[in-house]
Amino acid sequence: MNDRGLPMDALQRALSALPATALAPQRARALQKFQDSGFPEVRHEDWKYTDLSPVIEISKKWLEAGAPAHRPAAATDSPANTIDAHWLVIENGQISAHRLQAFEQQGVSVAKLSDSGLSETAASPLEDLNTALLHDGLKITVTGEAQKPIGILVSDGANSSVGVSQARVDIEFSEGASASIIEYHASSGSGAHFANSVVTLKLASNAVARYVRVQDRARHHCQTGRMTVSLQQHAKLEHAAFDLGGQLVRNDLFIDIAGAGASATFNGLYIAGDGQHIDNHTRVDHSVGPAESRQEYRGILKGKARCVWNGKAIVHEGADGTDAEQANHNLLLSRKAEIDAKPELEIYTDDVKCSHGTTVGQLDETALFYLRARGLDKQHATRVMTHAFAAEIIKQTPIAVLHDLIAGKVEARIGKLSETESE
Amino acid sequence: MLDIKNLHASILDTEILRGLSLSVKAGEVHAIMGPNGSGKSTLAQVVAGHADYVVTEGSVEFNGKDLLELEPEERAREGIFLGFQYPVEIPGVNNAYLLKAAVNAKRAHHGQGEMDAFEFLKLAKEKMSLLGMDPKFLNRGVNEGFSGGEKKRNEILQMAMLEPSLAILDETDSGLDIDALKSVAEGVNALRSPDRAIILVTHYQRLLDYIEPDFVHVLSAGRIVRSGDKSLALELEEKGYDWVKEAATA
Repeated sequence: MNDRGLPMDALQRALSALPATALAPQRARALQKFQDSGFPEVRHEDWKYTDLSPVIEISKKWLEAGAPAHRPAAATDSPANTIDAHWLVIENGQISAHRLQAFEQQGVSVAKLSDSGLSETAASPLEDLNTALLHDGLKITVTGEAQKPIGILVSDGANSSVGVSQARVDIEFSEGASASIIEYHASSGSGAHFANSVVTLKLASNAVARYVRVQDRARHHCQTGRMTVSLQQHAKLEHAAFDLGGQLVRNDLFIDIAGAGASATFNGLYIAGDGQHIDNHTRVDHSVGPAESRQEYRGILKGKARCVWNGKAIVHEGADGTDAEQANHNLLLSRKAEIDAKPELEIYTDDVKCSHGTTVGQLDETALFYLRARGLDKQHATRVMTHAFAAEIIKQTPIAVLHDLIAGKVEARIGKLSETESE
Repeated sequence: MLDIKNLHASILDTEILRGLSLSVKAGEVHAIMGPNGSGKSTLAQVVAGHADYVVTEGSVEFNGKDLLELEPEERAREGIFLGFQYPVEIPGVNNAYLLKAAVNAKRAHHGQGEMDAFEFLKLAKEKMSLLGMDPKFLNRGVNEGFSGGEKKRNEILQMAMLEPSLAILDETDSGLDIDALKSVAEGVNALRSPDRAIILVTHYQRLLDYIEPDFVHVLSAGRIVRSGDKSLALELEEKGYDWVKEAATA
């Protein structure tokens, strides 16, 4: 074991305590791969700004404690109670059986990964860890036009000690299928927690997916999440991601444009205060053209918050007619906040249209004065302007039923931040 | 109502106002004219409380209160309204939201309860129709994508909603076509009353054809160099500002 790995015997014990399903051989193989690699290190370019040490600490303590499986406390403000969608629930890595049984929607079928089989994607230590410790996951197949959004609530809790949980969802859209999918992460409890999720989304030709990820974890919990999307001809993805909570958060979004005429829009908003570290890495591969990708991520940072945005767009040889646009704007509300913003364009063909823009700034003083000259006090004016900055992303939320919930959460979070002193 | 004595103000260590004195009483309409760079807009910004301007000497009293001690929002709530020369576009902040927040901030300051949504909407629509504004502007971002004329009308709408006791309108006529100018002037005239004062800051005499001032002051190099009635504005229109500059340096 290197110092970026975990004790093998304890991992083995944790693995053997999992249900003996068809997943067992894949778990064993993944465990071996993870032990060879260990967690990603900061000397790796993609992890330069995000040190997973807190996650490693939690994982070790959890293994020492015998890899307990907690039950998260039932959240009263759970979106499953307020948002009109067909909800599936994964609690501390375990699928809620009654939610699964109750799921019935025309054009959509859901199964356990232990029954349907697990897809494997590009090698990644975090995905290997996910597979190795996976209790079970969900396989969602969309074959028609889903009328109601499908919600996936990933809810974790560590009430007395430490917790580690794995969530895994494989989603497939058939040709021409369409659906709205909500991936919602929430957590509670005073203990430390590390949640690790892997989602794959495959869109066959002409499929349309509206996808919103909301991360609203307790601010002392950690999360790493990977999502891999592939789009065939004329498939369309509208994606929005909101990171509101968490102590150490790392999201990777990989989009492979594999069919001509495909389009992917992916926007994001991250809000971080003291003690929070939120890292968003996106990568879009334009393998064929013509096709388009657009992304805009916005960040609001206060106190000693630290955020990372790294947007990579690769236009491969022969992907003529590619139109790729990326933007990242950051609002720094304190002097001690830090953002590392890095756009990366790699273009290996001639007939392309690519653009990128990154800004880091403070609130516009002229606009603040304008609002104050109308009678709004400084704190109110600041809050209004900050919310307006966020609103540009919120209004692009592709799933309408989520709009008010997200706007409300963002407003509350900005309100909290505005109460703290800016340093 | 407003009493400015020997006001000196600087921005980035450059003195713009150099001993300006002006007294405005309730019910009066004053026009402040002058060449570019004479300090007209600076005067407006200083009275409204812009932090970039530093007052180095003199005093500004508003209804007996030391205005320079107050934050910009406190001045607004006390009844001062600045109509901006360049109204700021604030995408994402709803026009109706700002109007309502502004009205309620003032009401709270004067110990009144919040205006309810129905009452607010009724009042806003009434004022908008007076200004020839489409009610759909309520749901747009503040000045977002507004034309020059729409922005100025929006300033007058805010003024009409806030019913200030002192309104300072900074170059409200600039960039307006004749129709927009007329409706803006109507909006201002509708607000003229014995307990309200208006200061019009303008480069051209044109606006004064529609809003008749009681007093006209000519500003040059940061001081008032001449005061008179509305005939002074006509004189300026005829002769230009060159003689004023000469008078100031003489």
